[in-house]
Amino acid sequence: MGNPLALAMSTQQPPDNGAANLESSSTSAITLSNNDGVQGKKQPPPEKPSDIRRRSHIILSFWLIVLCLGLPIWWKTTTIYRADLPLQEMLDWSDGKACRPVFPLHISIQANALQEHEAQNLLRLTQHALDDLNDFSGHHLRLQLAPPSAAGHYDRDSVLTIRLAPGETTTAKFDPHEPVLDITYPSNGIPSPTSSSSPLATYVAGQLRSAFAEEQAAISSLLSANSIPSDHRPQGFSPDASDALSKRPARSLRYAPTYHLTFSLFTSGPLPSSWDIEGAIDQYMKPVLDILSPIHNFTIDTQVQLYATPGVQNEVLNKEDLSSFINAAEWPLSPSIGGAPTINFIVFVGNQTIATLSQQSPGEGDDAPASASHSWLIPQWGTVYLLPLPHDTTHLPASALKQPLLAFTSHLLSLTGIPQSGSLPLRLSTLARIRSADLLLRASSTLGSLARLALALPSISIPRSVADGVAKTIKHLRLACESLGEPEGLAHARIAEAEAERAFFEKSMVGQLYFPDEHKIAVYLPLLGPVAVPLVMGLINELKAWRKRRWEAAEAGKGKKME
Amino acid sequence: MKLSGMFRLPVLLGAALLAPATLGAEHTSNWAVLVCTSRFWFNYRHLANVLSIYRTVKRLGIPDSQIILMLPDDMACNPRNAFPGTVYSNADRAVDLYGDNIEVDYRGYEVTVENFIRLLTDRVGEEMPRSKRLLTDDRSNILVYMTGHGGNEFLKFQDAEEIGAFDLADAFEQMWEKKRYNEILFMIDTCQANTMYSKLYSPNIIATGSSELDQSSYSHHADNDIGVAVIDRYTYYNLEFLETEVRDTSSKKTLGDLFDSYTYEKIHSHAGVRYDLFRGGAEAARKRLVTDFFGNVQNVEVDGAGNTTALEEELLSLSRTIAVLHHKADEEEEAVAAQRKNATGQAEVKASAQKNVHSVKPLTDENWWSKKVYGAAAVAGCTLLWGLSSYLESPGR
Repeated sequence: MGNPLALAMSTQQPPDNGAANLESSSTSAITLSNNDGVQGKKQPPPEKPSDIRRRSHIILSFWLIVLCLGLPIWWKTTTIYRADLPLQEMLDWSDGKACRPVFPLHISIQANALQEHEAQNLLRLTQHALDDLNDFSGHHLRLQLAPPSAAGHYDRDSVLTIRLAPGETTTAKFDPHEPVLDITYPSNGIPSPTSSSSPLATYVAGQLRSAFAEEQAAISSLLSANSIPSDHRPQGFSPDASDALSKRPARSLRYAPTYHLTFSLFTSGPLPSSWDIEGAIDQYMKPVLDILSPIHNFTIDTQVQLYATPGVQNEVLNKEDLSSFINAAEWPLSPSIGGAPTINFIVFVGNQTIATLSQQSPGEGDDAPASASHSWLIPQWGTVYLLPLPHDTTHLPASALKQPLLAFTSHLLSLTGIPQSGSLPLRLSTLARIRSADLLLRASSTLGSLARLALALPSISIPRSVADGVAKTIKHLRLACESLGEPEGLAHARIAEAEAERAFFEKSMVGQLYFPDEHKIAVYLPLLGPVAVPLVMGLINELKAWRKRRWEAAEAGKGKKME
Repeated sequence: MKLSGMFRLPVLLGAALLAPATLGAEHTSNWAVLVCTSRFWFNYRHLANVLSIYRTVKRLGIPDSQIILMLPDDMACNPRNAFPGTVYSNADRAVDLYGDNIEVDYRGYEVTVENFIRLLTDRVGEEMPRSKRLLTDDRSNILVYMTGHGGNEFLKFQDAEEIGAFDLADAFEQMWEKKRYNEILFMIDTCQANTMYSKLYSPNIIATGSSELDQSSYSHHADNDIGVAVIDRYTYYNLEFLETEVRDTSSKKTLGDLFDSYTYEKIHSHAGVRYDLFRGGAEAARKRLVTDFFGNVQNVEVDGAGNTTALEEELLSLSRTIAVLHHKADEEEEAVAAQRKNATGQAEVKASAQKNVHSVKPLTDENWWSKKVYGAAAVAGCTLLWGLSSYLESPGR
């Protein structure tokens, strides 16, 4: 016995029928043994060799099915699919080995009043002076001479155009509308072809350096925050500037291609109940949104809430009160529309005022402004503006919203992380460069996280979409790395970051990751135990019987030889 | 030694200048993940635990959008509730925890181990609303509070499944890898709670639990009218501290003060604290303010009044002209591009076609033909088997 099939057959049949079902040849054996009862216990009839053979075939076929069909299926269905990831390359990106962020900034010089060779000479000297000043290899300023035909226009391919013009003294002035730096020089300022240094060249270099100092500092702090070795240490910064530098990342929002702007009017009473926010936005905010449009998209919604109670009821608000002014529990400020992060702009109509510095601390408030301020910025969140109004105002016209919206506009700029100083066109292009470096580094570090995760958690599944995403990310990272400092750089970095995020946050990469061994036994034993016992026992019995037969055959052979 | 130290000085100075930007010790947002894991009326106290912590963090200023509340059951609407529509955590029934303003993010059968891990690791689908996601970054402090029925290294979810200490540790590690938190305070109130945080291995986590291995966590008292226990001891004494000592966000009480307030006499089990993962160890961790985790810290920047408006107006007119200039330049460019396109239309098409070839190739792409062959082979094999068996069974043989 021991054969599962035989077991099943015998249990299906009632015991008394068993004898009748036996083959006819064995009945004689039964009667025989019945006749000579002296032998005691009844013995089963000897098995026919064909039965023995059939039984071993049955056992063999069971084992074949288990080994050839069962095992592969079990293996196939329980293995976790892990797509091949280019782990080393991913780690290289995150360690900064794959790409050294370098910003070659082209600056063209228009010097129409100068002779060609004079201009060349000035350019060479200025470039030398710049290289001496610059200690941050990731941020090159490359000068080039603009062709004289381009006079009057600024060069769109370069970051900044310097317009040199003769004048009384050496002065420098940024054009407010275009990325142009106007520099005048006295007629004796032109370096002679043989001189190795010139005050004008040093002056221009100094101007350029101070214009790009904030950008350099921001980028190098980004790099060092991502533990990419940078040999640059910002030097000669006033404490003010470094303070602003440290505040920038804390204040500005994480980059997102789209921001959602929510304008809310909260009133402490029933009035005013309507406002001309659309007109006001068109008039006072649209231009800034337009110039930001190459970098961000904006969606806008507005709301009016009457009888709103602020979190603090004091008449005069101290600085501590301001942080709890927003009544987060009751004001509907998280619209959760779409996937874009929200920037809140709140106009609160009530009779509360912000304490001026002198009111707060009488001792130190020497430089306190005469009039109280009306608004405050909440980092990474938005702005609140307190608007005092006569009590019977029912409608807020666009003109009344001018002050709040101007405040919102300037806050929006600082929330997007735009640099504090410089001319506006330059600040915008700087923002684009800082953001593309930021995105590039973020995507790289996400790749590294994913690679380390794949190594650390061997039981997490990695679907193919993740591998695709990684491939796309690396492709766009490469493109972005090549075109850093150009508009395409930002576009590629944006795609790379989005793809990296999607790969890391792949939905199907979750599951119960860890199964203790007890769990595995608890799952497999009830299933496999009852199946395995007859299988294993059958095999053992069969092997025993086979050895016994062999031994008997050997004995018989010996006996024959002896005869 | 001394000499090298002197050489290093300028470098250190430079680093000190950079330090506030790079160190990022300061957090800019606070989040709370409050999880109850048990259903049914007799577990009333677990929901009351979570709701009272929810009320506390809301009182201290964390907005609903930054609180993830998981409630597997609705005690307020349970038919056995003698006070319908309310949940109390104290027999004096002074504070209705349900109130008018409660935002449950995950409820009922949504509270599962999978959803919890998805929440922590943010592996959610596009369809998930922002209010149900933990949108933290590397400057967020997170309070993770869990309560329910647990055992040695597991916490049961809804009588159906359980989360292991290893799963939790891996989830936190994934968060750390993706820079999804600055610091975490992990708080758990279950039986044998301290085993749940024993497997954590990610940095910057302070963990505390109500009871050691083989210790039960007891309930504090029952309300005879409600008919069940209304709060657990550990949570009760946490709340007592938070209500009496941390009245508002300006409180200067530290986590050390909170942890020191735990005694065996009060809690009836040995509450545990784990500091070793924290940057700076026990000393730094104990100095963290309670409001760093339970409150919402905002550093507002008040505007100066007066001359700023002139600047802003200037900015406005500037941006107006710049926008016009941009528009003009774009139009010019477009015109030029259109001209060029007309001239070299054919070449462009070719170039774009070539670009497509260069685009990404999937890393593992099974061959369409090999799939077809597999299918055909399987069908042929089955037919063959059927034919063979019918041949063998045929009576003629």
